[in-house]
Amino acid sequence: MNAATNNPITTSNEARIGVVLCECGHKIAPKVDLELLTQELKENTGATLVEIIPFPCLSPGLHEIRRLIAANQINRLVVAGCEPRIMLKKFEKELLDAGLDQGQIDVVNIRDYVASVNDGSPAALAAKGAKLVKSAVAGLEALVLTPKTKVEFNGPVMILGGGIATFAAAQELLRHEVDTIIAVQTEEIEDEIRMLHERYPGERESHDRLMKIMQEVDESPFIKRISVGELEKVLGRVGDYTVTFAAEGDHPPRIYQVGAIIAALDGEMQNQGSDFGHDGVKVLCHTEIEEQIWLHGAPTHRIVFWINDLETARPYAYLSAKTAWNIARHIKEHCVQAQVSILYNNKIKPPLSAAERVKARELKIDWIPYDGEIRPTVQMGYVTYNDPDDQIEREISWDQLVLSPKRYPGLEQIKVAEILGLHVKEGEFLKRNPQMVRPEQVGLDEKFMAGSARQPCDLRETLRQGHRAAQKAVEIAQLAKAGELYAPRMVCTVDRSKCIGCGLCREICDCGGIEPVEGLGGNIPRSVDPMVCTGGGTCAAACPYHALTLQNNSTAQREARVAALAQSLTENECMGFGCNWGGAAAADHAGIKGLKYSDRFYLLPAGCIGQLDPAVIGRAFMEGANGVLLIGCPPEECHHSYGLDHTWSRVLMIKKLLSLVGIDRQRISLAHTDLNNPGQYVKTVESFVSLMDKLGPIRRDDDMKARLKAVYDTLNNARVRWVLGASLRRPWETAYPTDQRNAIAYDVTLSDVLTEEFVRTEIVNFMRDQRKVFELKEIVQSLKEEKQQVLDCLKDLVGEGIITRIFKDRTPYYTLQ
Amino acid sequence: MSDIKEKTDGLVSLVIDGQPVQAKEDWTVLETARHHHIHIPTLCYHEAVQANGGCRLCVVEAKEGNWSKIVVSCLYPVKEGLQISTSTAKVNNVRRWILEMLLAECPASKEIRALAEAYGVNSTRFKIDRPTEQCLLCGLCVRVCEEVVGVRAISFGSRGVNKQVTTPYMVPNNACVACGSCVTVCPTGAMQARLNMVRGNVSERTGHGHAH
Repeated sequence: MNAATNNPITTSNEARIGVVLCECGHKIAPKVDLELLTQELKENTGATLVEIIPFPCLSPGLHEIRRLIAANQINRLVVAGCEPRIMLKKFEKELLDAGLDQGQIDVVNIRDYVASVNDGSPAALAAKGAKLVKSAVAGLEALVLTPKTKVEFNGPVMILGGGIATFAAAQELLRHEVDTIIAVQTEEIEDEIRMLHERYPGERESHDRLMKIMQEVDESPFIKRISVGELEKVLGRVGDYTVTFAAEGDHPPRIYQVGAIIAALDGEMQNQGSDFGHDGVKVLCHTEIEEQIWLHGAPTHRIVFWINDLETARPYAYLSAKTAWNIARHIKEHCVQAQVSILYNNKIKPPLSAAERVKARELKIDWIPYDGEIRPTVQMGYVTYNDPDDQIEREISWDQLVLSPKRYPGLEQIKVAEILGLHVKEGEFLKRNPQMVRPEQVGLDEKFMAGSARQPCDLRETLRQGHRAAQKAVEIAQLAKAGELYAPRMVCTVDRSKCIGCGLCREICDCGGIEPVEGLGGNIPRSVDPMVCTGGGTCAAACPYHALTLQNNSTAQREARVAALAQSLTENECMGFGCNWGGAAAADHAGIKGLKYSDRFYLLPAGCIGQLDPAVIGRAFMEGANGVLLIGCPPEECHHSYGLDHTWSRVLMIKKLLSLVGIDRQRISLAHTDLNNPGQYVKTVESFVSLMDKLGPIRRDDDMKARLKAVYDTLNNARVRWVLGASLRRPWETAYPTDQRNAIAYDVTLSDVLTEEFVRTEIVNFMRDQRKVFELKEIVQSLKEEKQQVLDCLKDLVGEGIITRIFKDRTPYYTLQ
Repeated sequence: MSDIKEKTDGLVSLVIDGQPVQAKEDWTVLETARHHHIHIPTLCYHEAVQANGGCRLCVVEAKEGNWSKIVVSCLYPVKEGLQISTSTAKVNNVRRWILEMLLAECPASKEIRALAEAYGVNSTRFKIDRPTEQCLLCGLCVRVCEEVVGVRAISFGSRGVNKQVTTPYMVPNNACVACGSCVTVCPTGAMQARLNMVRGNVSERTGHGHAH
């Protein structure tokens, strides 16, 4: 990817921060003493300017902000007002031309976190607001501005997979004059049509239309037709893919550089098993009767279609009924003496329009419902079924019985999907729900895929999907051509100088944005496709080597934020993080509903609770926080799939470390709140605050400070992060690849590793602070750890060359190298 | 006119409740009034989305020369020489009518009742069809879903007296990302009550293999 920086956004990293305080009518101003708040911020932050504006979000206010930005060369802005969830986007949009892009503006909700929910003097509320605003200022000071990433679009669009949607997609692309390569199975249009019923039976009516599409594609100069071997691998990212097809016969492997990929994948059909009497001659499936019609013309005897999908526990009865109707109609239209009936479960409705009902009567095609509670039985020449009307068991005779096919996403299609980087489960169709995040968080909302391998569908739907996928490809191709295709601002980036290609991030990434790069010994995941990444950030929080950064929303920023807040907290105050989809949203709603709760709780919002690197929480304790509450979504409802569960593991680890330090484990807690239940949020906060009151403040002598520093350092330790990262999930989860087999054994291992690394960190920190030579005794006394543990760690550290051991009078002395 | 504009640098002068103010031409009366600490009640207005003048509660009296009329301030642009009064007897009378109708439209809403009481409206002469209704059909949720979130998971369904905020086919909508923005902007408790119908079971739509 080529990153370009031709935009007016200032990329200077020298922060000039403006703070705008909103009065919000009477909702903030009289309750919070904004004058006092202004004074405090002017005196105790590096903010370039602090201004009160009645409504910063309205045109007059925005006009004022633009003026202030221009006059003071402001390049970061904090608005202290209401919910960033709702208002941030407007500020970003309105202030873009003033030089502020996403990430450079922060909105602090002092209305719903302070003014509406706390009773207190205006001065007291101003003091609380000041702490929250100061921490936002600190966060923006730590922002490392990245230029806007322009996504280049190199090469044509490729349509692979061989599905029939290929032609619909190609037609859409050629109409927009986008160069396209299609990989097809046969060269001849007639052959495609002849074999179509294998995957789409009963579609004769559409053959003419399809033929026209194919001819248009065939004649277009924008479409290049290739016949290739098996798809081998796909590397690269949106706009710049390398597609390799396997060698075939004399042909060497073929490699194509393409800008976008559309996968046209058709599902396959299998015959019913013998329990329905299937023999392929008298009892057959839709595809087989179609083949028979192709070979011998329409049959002349008595044919019964039995829509038996519900009996095989498949939900595609409607689709099968439609297919059966199409085939039945074709038979009757071509052979009057044939007798055709369609037997259907009365739990479904015949998929006929009014005109089709008339047609059915005209052609004498019987639609016979049966009672779905009793399974019909096949005998030779008869099917018995229960009439739902009078509950009499009836028989219907047949010369040929046609059953619904079993639909499944073909093996080859699944293989292609896997190569394209989709997580595929055996036997499941490929369609996925859209990501549960806002559209602006993803560059591409869905993989470009069309066909019945996504989800069983008829030909018309497949062609529609082909058109739609192509429309998306056209859209990005045209944007790129105009030089306006940008990746979202808050996506992960990999620092390749730190990345070792371990692949942990890929395993825990939920959006599929981590992409493999060709490297020594094969492909290693060490790059991110910015058009796929949703900015969930749990991968960055897990990376053992801090090689992943969520740009414009980094761990460094969050650390700066918590540090600023934790330092300003008094002994009876505590803090927390709320995720935008759960805790923070519920807190917004508590403010809007005017619920009251403790003014000694400070909430910081986060995009996802999984974005929080454990080091951020370690930093909070180190800088003065006495308790940290993390409020995420309800269990199993994490919008980034696993952020919440990863946080559970991280919290568990921090609890273990707090015990090692000798602090109550409850000082770090994970909670869940549904955004629609502000009352629950208030209860959660009140309970945590009263727990903190019971525990009292952490006694912070020099010893404790050193230990909390060691906790922070341990949380940044690569080995600890590795052991944690390798098992970031709750023990009871089974959906995860290689689920945790022995939770207790893992827990013991994690504890051992933590203890060892914590003591090692303590030793190194201790020796670094006082540069001299120590005896074992001294170290043990100072650190108050077990002698054997310290000795073991020292031995290891000596072995690794971090500590030097010297002997004087046969007594070992230790010193840091 | 054009001379004055040039002199005042694109600003127009008007008077709101006796207070002379200056404004840029593309500002509305409501925005200008709020910027000068003059309160005008609103229900269907939210700073994050386009105004649509649906609830009419923000009416003010606009006087220009020797004529005056009642206008909705959230949409009415400022104009040179305009005289705005935000709470004359005429304006308050319109607001009382609106509130009385709202009391019949969404009788279960605490917020509407409180607002009506502030204007001295304690009962309604209109027929109450749905005593448990909280929604006043202001459309803020629909607009925020489209303009701020960008997914259009909810919309108005049916027409006339049956109009309601709902999802297509009245079933939980997969397009919904369950961000709760609609609940945040709802001026009553209506959206809080129907969020579950819109988002459905979130846990079924998250997790590995679901969102790829």
